[in-house]
Formats: sequence, C-alpha cells, structure tokens
Amino acid sequence: MIPGNLDDDDDDESRADASGEIRLPATLESSGPVPATAEIAIVGGGVVGLAIAYYLARRGLHDVVVLERGYLAEGASGRNGGGVRQQWSTEINIRLMQESVDLCRRFAVDLGVNVWFRQGGYLFLARTQKEVARLEKNIDLQNRCGVHTKMLSPVAAQEIVPELNLAGIVGAAYNPTDGILFPWPFLWGYARQAAAHGVRIFTQTPVNGLAKMAGGGYEVVTARGTVKARRVINATGAWSPQLAKMIGVDVPTYPIRHEICSSEPLKPFLRPMVSELSSGLYCSQSMRGEIVGGVTLPGHGSTYAMGSTLEFLATYARRLVRLMPILGDIKILRQWAGPYDQSPDGNPILGAAPDHPDFFLACGFVGHGFMMAPIVGKLYAEYLTGEKPHEIFERYTLGRFDGGGDSYPKEDFNIG
Amino acid sequence: MPRRLPSFDAARGPALEVRIADSSVRAYADESIAAAAIAAGARVLSRSLKYHRPRTFFCLEGHCSGCLVRLGGVPNLRACQAPCSAGAEIEGQNAFPSAEVDLLGAVDFLFSRGLDHHTLMTGSSMLNRLANKVVRQLSGLGKLPAHAATQLPDVAERSIDVCVIGAGPAGLAAALACAQAGRSTLLVDDQLRPGGSMRADPRASATTQMGTGRERAELALAQAIKAGVSVLSRATAIGFFPEDDDGVLAVAAPEQLHRVKARAWIWATGGYPVNLPFTDNDRPGVIAARAVGRLLVDHGILGGDKVCVVEVPEVADDAAVLAQALGAAGADVVRVPLAQALGARGRSWVTAVDTSNGRVDCDLVAVAAIPSPASEGPRQQGCKVTLDPARGGFLVVVDDRGRTSTAGVWACGDVTGYIGPARAADDGARVGANVAGSL
Amino acid sequence: MARKIMICRCEDVTLADLEHCVTRGYKDIEEVKRYTGFGTGPCQGKECLAPMATHLARLTMVEPAKIRPFTSRPPLAPTPIKILARAPDAHRFDDDPGDE
Repeated sequence: MIPGNLDDDDDDESRADASGEIRLPATLESSGPVPATAEIAIVGGGVVGLAIAYYLARRGLHDVVVLERGYLAEGASGRNGGGVRQQWSTEINIRLMQESVDLCRRFAVDLGVNVWFRQGGYLFLARTQKEVARLEKNIDLQNRCGVHTKMLSPVAAQEIVPELNLAGIVGAAYNPTDGILFPWPFLWGYARQAAAHGVRIFTQTPVNGLAKMAGGGYEVVTARGTVKARRVINATGAWSPQLAKMIGVDVPTYPIRHEICSSEPLKPFLRPMVSELSSGLYCSQSMRGEIVGGVTLPGHGSTYAMGSTLEFLATYARRLVRLMPILGDIKILRQWAGPYDQSPDGNPILGAAPDHPDFFLACGFVGHGFMMAPIVGKLYAEYLTGEKPHEIFERYTLGRFDGGGDSYPKEDFNIG
Repeated sequence: MPRRLPSFDAARGPALEVRIADSSVRAYADESIAAAAIAAGARVLSRSLKYHRPRTFFCLEGHCSGCLVRLGGVPNLRACQAPCSAGAEIEGQNAFPSAEVDLLGAVDFLFSRGLDHHTLMTGSSMLNRLANKVVRQLSGLGKLPAHAATQLPDVAERSIDVCVIGAGPAGLAAALACAQAGRSTLLVDDQLRPGGSMRADPRASATTQMGTGRERAELALAQAIKAGVSVLSRATAIGFFPEDDDGVLAVAAPEQLHRVKARAWIWATGGYPVNLPFTDNDRPGVIAARAVGRLLVDHGILGGDKVCVVEVPEVADDAAVLAQALGAAGADVVRVPLAQALGARGRSWVTAVDTSNGRVDCDLVAVAAIPSPASEGPRQQGCKVTLDPARGGFLVVVDDRGRTSTAGVWACGDVTGYIGPARAADDGARVGANVAGSL
Repeated sequence: MARKIMICRCEDVTLADLEHCVTRGYKDIEEVKRYTGFGTGPCQGKECLAPMATHLARLTMVEPAKIRPFTSRPPLAPTPIKILARAPDAHRFDDDPGDE
C-alpha cells in the first residue's frame, strides 16, 4: 500500500479529455463569470443534473455548463437515505432500476469515487392481509422481470433481521439485490469526471431569469452573467415549477417535506433496508454504521420549508422501538429534511416541454430520483446526442396532464 | 502520573468500587466515571474511526467524543457524564484485541500522509468489493445494547416565564436575577452537577472570600434555588421545535423528556473547550486546560506530575491561574505558547512536547484555547451568529441589553464571545435583569 | 502514531484533509463538511466547527465574518430513542398499539 493517497492526483492526469489537456484538480467554480455561451445549460447541480452532465461529456458533448444555486448537495440529493430498490409496481420502473442498480455497482470503478454501494436487500413488512396482497401482486411482476423478490413468513423475515419484534407482522417481501449507497460521493464522482471532460460546474450561482431567444435557444440569467444556451435542462428537482414558470411553462409538481434522521455509529448488524408499509417507516445501516431512517407524517400539505419537528422524532422513535426494541438505548444524532417532488399521478415528468422543444424537464420523482438518476442521466444523454429517445421521454411528457398522452399505469410503490 | 489529593478526599463520603476494563477502581458517588478512571490511571478508551488512533478523555464536559465507553450494556456513553455507582462497569469500544493494543492501529502508519477514503481502492471492481466489505466491518463505534430499554415515565410539560439554558456562572446569575424579580424561572443544565466553568476555575474569589470554584458553584446554585429557580439537572436542551404555537424546547433528562414553553429564553451555554493545531494534538494525555482545572477544582485530582500548558495569548490569564494552581498542588508546570509548540510525543500516552526551544518532558498536556461559543441552540432558534476567532468561534450576536436577533431570545456569558468565568456572572446578572424587566 | 494535525477528533479529519478538500474545489463549509466528514460524528461539530471554519477562512482567503456555520439541527446532543418515543407529539397510525 502506498503511504497515503492524499497527494495522489495522478488519477486526474489519466482522465485527460480528448484534446489531451490535463484538467486542474478543482471541480467546482464558486466565483468568476459563467461562460457566455453553451450548447447545453443544466440548471440544478443535484444528482440528476450532474448525471446528465457526466453522460453527455462521456458521449463527447463537453460544451455544457451546470448551474447550482447553492452548495453542492444542498437539495434533495444531499438529504436522502441512499436507498436503491428494484421492488416497484410498474414494469418500466422495475426495468429502469435493474439498470440503475448495475450502474451503482460499477460506479466506484467507473468514476473513481467510492459510493459504498451495499446490496443487503430490502425487507418490506406487512401488518395486514391487504398489504400482503399488494406485495404479492408486485412480487409477481418483479419476478417476471427477473427480479427475485420473495414473500417471506414473519419467522423467515426474523432470520434476516433477528432484532425484529414480530408482533403484528403477517408477512414480508424481500429482494436480496436491493441496496443502500452513500449519496454525496455520487455528486463528487459525476462532478469530477464531468469537469475533467470540460464541463463547467458552478455552485453558489442561482438562475434569476430565463428567456427564450428569438432565433432559438435561451438566455439563462445568473448573478455571474448570462449564458446563451441552445438547450436548457431543468434539473432543479422540487424547484422545477419555479424555473419553468420563468418561460410560462406550468409544471404541476409540488414539494412534500420528508424528515429523516441518523443515529450514532454502531458496529454492523443490520443487513437490509427495513420498511413498514403501514407507517412508511424505513431504516437501514449506512457504511458508517449509523441507522438512517424516516417515517411518513401525513397531513402537512406542501412546503419548501425544511425545518425539523418534534412530531417526526417522536413518531419515528415510537415506531422504531416497537419494531426493533433493542434499539431503545441507541441515540439519535441528527435529524434533517428534504423535499419529495410529488407529481399528480406519481410518475415523473421527462422530455421536452410542449412549445419548447429545447427546454427539457427531469422532475416529479417522488422521493426516488436519486436511485433513478444514473439510468435517467444515461438515457437523457443518449437522447440529447441524437439517439432514438427511450420510451420514458414519450410516456412521461408534461403534455400528458392536458390529455396529451395515453394514460399509463401509475406507480403505487412510491415509498421513501 | 495522575493522583488524588488526600485533603480533598478527606472531606468526601465513603469510597465505592467501579470496574474499568476488568480492573476494580476506587471511586466516589459524587464524581463521574471519567474522573475515577483518570485518577486510577486509565488511558486509552477506544480507537478513532478512520485511522484507529488511540482515543481518550479531552473536554470532560460531555461535548467532545473522547470518553465514549460501553456502560451497563449500553454503547457510546460519555464517561464524563456518567455518575459513579457501586458496581458500575465500563468497557472500551472499537478496538481489537483491546483499546490499548489495537492491531488496526497499523492503518495510521500505512496512511501516514493521509487517507482519502473517497478514492481508495477504486482501481478494480474486485478490490473495490473487498474494500467495501472491510470498511463496513471496521465501521461504527459501539455494539448493540445488551437489552431492550425499560419503559419510561410520561413526558413532563413545563410552562414558565423564563427558561435559562446553562447553569454556569452567567446562567446561574441570570436565573437568580429573573427569580428575584418575581419571574417563574426554569434553569436547565446538562452536566452531572450545575456550575459550568466555575467548577473548573482555580481562582479564589476576592469578593466573596470563598475558596474554590466548586464552593462558589454550590453557593450560587443554593442561592438560585432559594430564590425560587426550578433547576433541571443532567438535562440537555435538545432542540427548539415549532410545535404548540410559539414553539417548544425539548429537554432530555436521563429517564424523561420535558417539553418546555417559555415567554423568554436565555442561552447561557458558555463555550466548548477546543483543541489547538499542533502535530499529534489528539494523542492521549493531551487534554483541554479547563478539563485539567476541573479535575483539580471539582474532583481533587491532579492530572499529572509534569504538566505542559500549550496556550494562545488570548487566554494567558486563565493559563497562568491554572499553572499556579497546579504548581501549588505539587506539579511541575511549563507553559508553551502555541506558536512555539511543534508536536506531542509518546505512544499510548503523551511523554513530551517538542517546541522550538527544545523538548519539554511531561505526562499531561493542558491545551488552553479560547472556548468556542456553544451557539447551536441559538442558531437553531434563528439567532444571528458571527465567526470571530479572537473570541472563540461562532458567537451569538447580541445588542447591549443581551437580545439576540430573534424576538424573545436572549444570550449572555461566553456564548456571546469569550469573557471568562470572572466576568460571566456579572454579564448574566445584567441580562437576567433586562429579561425580567422586559416581561 | 503517524504524525498528523487532528482537527476533527470524531471523524479523524486532519488539517491536510482540509487542505486537500479545498484544493479539489470544495470550499463552502457545507461542502467541506460532507467531503471531509468533519462535524458529522458523535459531537456534531462542537469541538471542531470553530477551528475548521477559522482554517477554512484562512485557506480560502475569506474574512472570518463571511463564513457561516453549517446548519444546526436537533437533537443538540445524542438522545436515546426511548426518550423520544414518549413524546405526545408522535403521530398515531391506525395500527398503533397504544401505550403498554
């Protein structure tokens, strides 16, 4: 082993871009003017925006600028619990996530940054026969797609998680290849590689104005200057309606606050992500050993405010200590919150906006945008560089809300 | 070597026995397990997460992570806030085979220039899978508890005029002033016993002719209680939440949660002892100067025979007082300005400090830095803070009456910028009177 | 012990780690926190936030008054789940068993 790899920036040199120019190690720009022009301006430096930027750069499109309004990981990308699952209720989501899981597995080696992806499985617990039926229906579809989820008896579930209190549990769905990752390194990895290929990434750079230009393209106005971009991608997640409104596009998504917390670090004991359907409780053990989890608090309407409540801590603690009593003396270290980007039908909004063939949307992921970002980023880059668009860009258009598309199955497994 | 001062112990009740890593150790009911451990010569308690460097006591105030131990089958407890009781048993954590001799300490040498765990072993998928497995096994501090927790009493609800958080010199004085002005007052303090920095202050007070900080703390507490202040001890303000119209302060006591509503809030949380930047400043035996003072004043324990005080000029007065008191208790003391301190030496305990004027042999290093304003609570209530290194860190900005930028929220003492225990009481009294007058 | 200047004791973040992070372009205190891990351990920055912020001001050549702290979040000290579980603020779901 080498004595310390902190001084080792050799790997930057090995990833020189096509022109052979060695990139500087700094990945982000938080000062200085934005470029005057760009082929593509991506507004939003979260995982979706950065994944698209990375895959674009990989496909040879380097004239891209990413504009993040705050610090890197300020939005939902920095606030989620890192869950990655293939247990969905629609075939398209199952298949997308199968590909995303594969990309997550390869991320560390492909992008040179550890994301600690661990496939310990996902265990969904049912407390009623109705919940069991719901799980069984989904399992059937998952199995047909090649995802080997199984229905387990409570006792069999306890073999996987010995700490479970089985009182009231009637069954469980388990897929061993679902997993957990650490979200922040995804952003560093995508950003670093995109920047190494010439993409400019600006932080602390809010977009204050957006205007369509007469001859085509958009003026993207920031405090660091204006970028004239031929195409714009709205990757602002829960804030997508605000950017779209600047050009008169109505995006009907709205933010729902979800709170989450983490415990002190413990030696490893919990293999899967455990989730209880009746309350939306979920928890998993991160690579640092912390138990990270949340619960769904109903009845709070839509808000961008990301403060913390006692209601959350109490609800989570109460459900968790009932589900895994041995955790009673474990301490919570920190709670925070992030926005679920809720769409009217539970499906995302992708593709170009009506009347704006060069303004693209990537929102409405209802709390699972992170796990979908690798595959969505890859598919978007293919689409934007001339490939035939994947069906998600035709299926999930914004126009569908005006009766502009066929009605596709709604995803009903939009849990945290 | 640390030792107990016989004159101090003579005034105590009977000794009892606690067990520290399989050894029986003399302790007293009025002290923390950390104090008993230090007096008995306990050294390394655990290993750090990334480099597996030996970890042990630092602040002795429950705010760092130096003294985390497993106690009574519960992981990650702060030994400095755990009271001694007969038969209590503590074990170290996160080390194999023991905290003293930890094989994984090799990581520290292998990565002597530093470890960027982000890029480590990303060269091949096989190596990366292995790295993931190993890192997971190495992760975490304590193991799961031995038993499920017992049921707890119901939550207590409090509704009062003034809630003061922090029973150090400023908080005690502020609470006293409010109570004397007829306001119902609750004083919340997170330490084993109230008194804050007074219990670490070797200054004899000229005005009251009280001997030690410990005596002054107990007098101030008695005065406050007599004036009608309700004191919640061993209770931590864990957050100000938006529930219940005007918000509620959640306070966690060892076996109960309190929900507190107040018309005015006074943050008197003081400052945290912090470390200073010199090489190997995390070596066991490098302890906050205030912790050394606390051991002496509150516990009658001399932390070492040869003490090296590493200090910054802003706290020279405090350092001088500590050095003088340690000397009077029988230690050799050398004071070294930070600018001259090059690094600490030793393996499982400090043995010397290298300075630009040569090596100073020692068995304890007392780090005298400017305490960092404990402003998490005010920040959570939306109060404006400013980073001022000369006054310790992120201090709470207050006007000349003690008001923060949030309505109904006040602050006094070191949390508004370090002023030291000698001046904090006056500041607390002044702000307390202002708060009482505002209601 | 190999020679290091430790700034964050909980997460083993050294001064060299901070310098490395800033060189990579992560300069906002929130970015530094996430990249180095400082302030994310059991003490949640009580011991290291002020020293880190002061070093960061120096390394990025920014006036200290311009550096803000990272977001302060509850709980302000590690709090056992069993204590939180008793709060009346908990939402009761339909299948809540009630207090034993």
